[in-house]
Formats: sequence, structure tokens, C-alpha cells
Amino acid sequence: MTEARRRRNVLLVLTLAFPVALSLALAHGSVPLPIGSVLSSIGSTFGLPSFAPPLEPSAQAIFWTVRLPRVLLAGLVGGGLAVVGAVLQSVFRNPMADSGLLGVGSGAAFGAVLAVRLGWSARVFLALPVAAFFGAMAAIVLVYLLAHAAGRPSLQGLLLTGIAVSALASAGTSVLLVATEEFRVKTVLFWLAGGLEGRSWSHVQIGAVFILPGVALLLAFARPLDVLALGEDEAGSLGLPVHATRLAVFALAALVAGAATSIAGSVPFVGLIAPHALRPRVGPLARHLLPAAFLAGGLLVVLADLGARTLSQSLDLPLGSLTAFVGAPYFLLALHANEGRE
Amino acid sequence: MTAILEARDLVVSRGGRVVLRDASLALKAGEAVALVGPNAAGKSTFVRALAGLLQPTSGLVLLEDRPIPAWPRDALARTLSLVTPEEGGAVALTVRDRVALGRYPYRGPFLPFIAADADAVERSMRQTGILELAGRRIGTLSAGERQLAALARGLAQEPRVLLLDEPGAHLDVGHQLQLFRVLDAVRECGVAVLAVVHDLQRAAAWCDRMILLAEGRVRAEGPPRDVLASSACAEGFGVEVRGHTVPSLPHLLYSFEDKRP
Repeated sequence: MTEARRRRNVLLVLTLAFPVALSLALAHGSVPLPIGSVLSSIGSTFGLPSFAPPLEPSAQAIFWTVRLPRVLLAGLVGGGLAVVGAVLQSVFRNPMADSGLLGVGSGAAFGAVLAVRLGWSARVFLALPVAAFFGAMAAIVLVYLLAHAAGRPSLQGLLLTGIAVSALASAGTSVLLVATEEFRVKTVLFWLAGGLEGRSWSHVQIGAVFILPGVALLLAFARPLDVLALGEDEAGSLGLPVHATRLAVFALAALVAGAATSIAGSVPFVGLIAPHALRPRVGPLARHLLPAAFLAGGLLVVLADLGARTLSQSLDLPLGSLTAFVGAPYFLLALHANEGRE
Repeated sequence: MTAILEARDLVVSRGGRVVLRDASLALKAGEAVALVGPNAAGKSTFVRALAGLLQPTSGLVLLEDRPIPAWPRDALARTLSLVTPEEGGAVALTVRDRVALGRYPYRGPFLPFIAADADAVERSMRQTGILELAGRRIGTLSAGERQLAALARGLAQEPRVLLLDEPGAHLDVGHQLQLFRVLDAVRECGVAVLAVVHDLQRAAAWCDRMILLAEGRVRAEGPPRDVLASSACAEGFGVEVRGHTVPSLPHLLYSFEDKRP
């Protein structure tokens, strides 16, 4: 009973906090916008009567072309990464698992650097995220093929293959980076550091097309995910087609994480912290954990991006570094608390 | 009465090594069979092959006269359940949620659970004596309670054949007795129970029939006192087994002595 009540409370808090954080992030920035006018402006596009003085034309432009897509992206990317983290942690039965394990991050980085090195990103619109996305997918396919080269792999085998492929992709990235002209290196570094500067509605479209359906399908797989988390033998003896389910889940996780990473670069720790903080509060069942993780991850990145934007007036702080600065200490504290309990 | 689960000449290889050779057995409804044998005899492999989790190199497992591979996955899981030692992955799950996953073969990935599922979950928790732990998380339970929760999940499948791999491992004597009492109750309902048991004394006191496995082969089979008295048993374990009659006990008390120099 208390378990259910705690779960309801956490979900309630997250659901309430999410729109609050969104509004906060929409109003604040290098050009502050009056929050009432912002909400009224959004409302009027849905045919609601306006209830606040309209935004000035310049503010209107900033809001619709810069700030709104950026805040929406932050929510999508954070939510997607957190859901993928939660899913992979339960499939690998390891609280330290996240999309990096499948080679997503390093594959995406390789794709991005390749696009920059060959000059595509300067000539073709969206070439960088598209190349990053293909890099991530290529890395995952490689992990899958290599791991299956000697029959059906164990989870351990998949994990180690992922690490090997990641290392390979990182080495490739370094080689390309060294060979890249200096004036282009900065573009890559910005992307690698993780951030949402200068992202547009096209990026939102990429995010919406891959992340939302991916998350929805993972949520639809909630019960098979719970069974899979019991381990191979037990899941198999409960009638779950273990390998097919795992493959489907990995493919979905890869799509979501690949899209998120190709849009925002590396945004570390979101996939670890959000599920880690929520699991003791809402329980490990996917139908509870995944929606909560989506909200919490979105919330986290929306706020982190807000922090990166407001702080960047005094110092340049990439989003990815910010989540790491907050995430790493949190994670260590949680780890110590855990060790102390055992 | 015909066998509900039958294995014919099973051969299983893992990593190029033959782990199980020509193993056969027949299990009848309501029967309690203990599978015993020294370490690495192939007991776990045998049980997993019986459950359809391992593909035999040759041979056949028949469940209700139908080869296991011909069974749809969900129907198989509604007829046969396997309980393996708890690995401790699902520490944050509550006992009730853990047991409820045993209803997966009935509802599959998408159908919502119904009253019959809740009843089955409740019943198997009561039967295993863990009803008052229903709201607790697996991680907060003792090893014995975890094993009972795993057994409750197996019972929630409402199987006709129950396979257990070392259900009594890591359990104190009280929990062991409780567990085997539950298995007796399950068997009395007509379920065929086959358990890998390490403790020969416990196995002999519990089972109707004992199967001795050594080096991947069935070496002896029959009433426990005959199997334990066989030379195959002494050879397999490398010990001398003696049965002693104790006036106040219904079964023999065994002592074991090292035969090796």
C-alpha cells in the first residue's frame, strides 16, 4: 500500500514539475521573456484566448525559432536517454549500464567527426546529426554481428563486444580528429561536449520521429522487459523468446539513444542518474519506471540546458559537462550510500 | 499410468564437450523424484534440457507425449515450470510482483492481468508461506525467503510438471523442511515434481524415486534406499554410504565415509 502511494506521489511530483520546468526554461535565457506572454503565445496557436500582453516581434522570433525548439529538444533528449538507460539496466541486470555500452556514443562521435572531416557538415544541412546517427547505428550493428559471430552470445559477451567496438570507434575518432583542419576541429569539439546551441525545428523533427515512437514501443514492451530482467533461464522458462525480445529491445534502445546523441552530442549521466534515483521510489517494473524516467530525464536536461544557457553569459559551460559535473558527484554519493547499507 | 514427462536418450554437448549421455527418465503425475549426483554430473544440464531451455544434440523430451519443440512457448510454460536458484537480479521487485510474473504465460506481453491471475498469485504465496511478505522487496529477504518466492513464481504458473534445480541450497534446516513440505503438498495435487537435491539425506527422506547421475549418465534409479546402497552411488561420490535404522524414524539415517585414500 505504501509502495503504491509513494509511486503515485513521485509520478505526481514529476508530472507537475515537468511543465513548470519547461515554462521556466522558456522564459529564462540571454533575452528574458515574460512568462505570461510566452504561455499566452503558445495558447493562442491552439486557439485559446490570449490572457497576457503579446510578445514583442523580436521576442516572438526568439521564442519560436530559438528557444521553444531548444527546450523541447532538451526534454526529448533527456527523456529518451533516461528511458534507454532504464531499459538497458534491466536487460543487462546491471545498474551501471547505459547506451554507451552498445557503442552508441562512440559510434555517433565517429560519424560526426567523419562528417566534419570530409566537409559535409559545412555544405549539407543536418549532415552532422545524420552522420552521427548512422555512426551510432553502424556501431550497434557491428557489436551485434561480432557478438553473434560465435553463436548466441551471453550478456557478458555482448557487453565486452560493446566495449571493444567503442574503443575501436574512439580510436578512429582520434585519428580523424588529428587529421582535421584546425578551423573545423572546434565544430566537432562543440558537438562532442554535448549541447543544444543553434538547434532548430529540423532537429526537433528528427527527435520526435525517432525518440517518441521508440519510447512508446519500449513502454509497450513493459511486461516482456520485466520478464527479461529475471535472467535468461527464468525468462525462457516463462515462455519469453529471449533472444528475439532482447534484439527488439536493443534495436529500439539504439534508435532512441542514436537520435538523442546525434542531436545533442554526448550528454552523460542522464541515463544513469534518472533511473537510479527512481528505481527505489517507483520500483523496477517497466510500466512504472519508464514513464517516470522519461519525465525525470527530460526535467534534468531541460534544467541543465537552462543552467548552461544562463551560465554561458559568464563562462562557457557545455551542457554535457554540466550534466557530468552534477551527475558524477550524485552518482558517487549514491554509490557510497549503497555500499554503506550493505 | 503413462508418464507426463519423458526423456529418451538425451545427449547434450556444451562447448564441444558431452555433458549428458543417453539420459532417459519418465516422470508420472503426482510423483516426487530426486535427481542426485556428484558435482559436474550434468544434473543442471539435464533439468534445463527437460525444460526445453537447451537443445539436445540427439534424443527427445516428450511432455504429455508431445515433443517439447512442438509445444508453443506459452502453452509449454503453462504446463511445465522450472525453478532455478535465485540469482538476485530482481532485488527491487516486491514479492507480489515477482510472483505475478509467473502469470506471463497466461497473459503474454499485452493482456492485462485478471482476477484468476491475482488468485493464482495469492494462492501460491499462501502455499509457500510468504503471503505476509507480499509487499516486501526481494532485496530485503533472507536467502530462504527468496527461494520460497522463486518457488511461488513457479507455482503461479499452475504447472503439471515442476522442475527444481537445487531448491534447498543455502537454506537453513527450518526453511528446507518448509520447502519440501510445500513440494509434498504440490505433489499431492497431482503435479509431477523433479528436484535436483544435493543433500542425500534430505533427498532420501523426501522422494518416491531417486535418479543417480554421474559423468553425464544415469547410473542408478529406484527407491532411494536401493540407489544409495548401490555401488554406482559409492563410486559416483567416492564415498561409502551406510544406512542405519533408527527406531523412532520412518526412514533410514545415512552416514558417509571417504573411500579415497
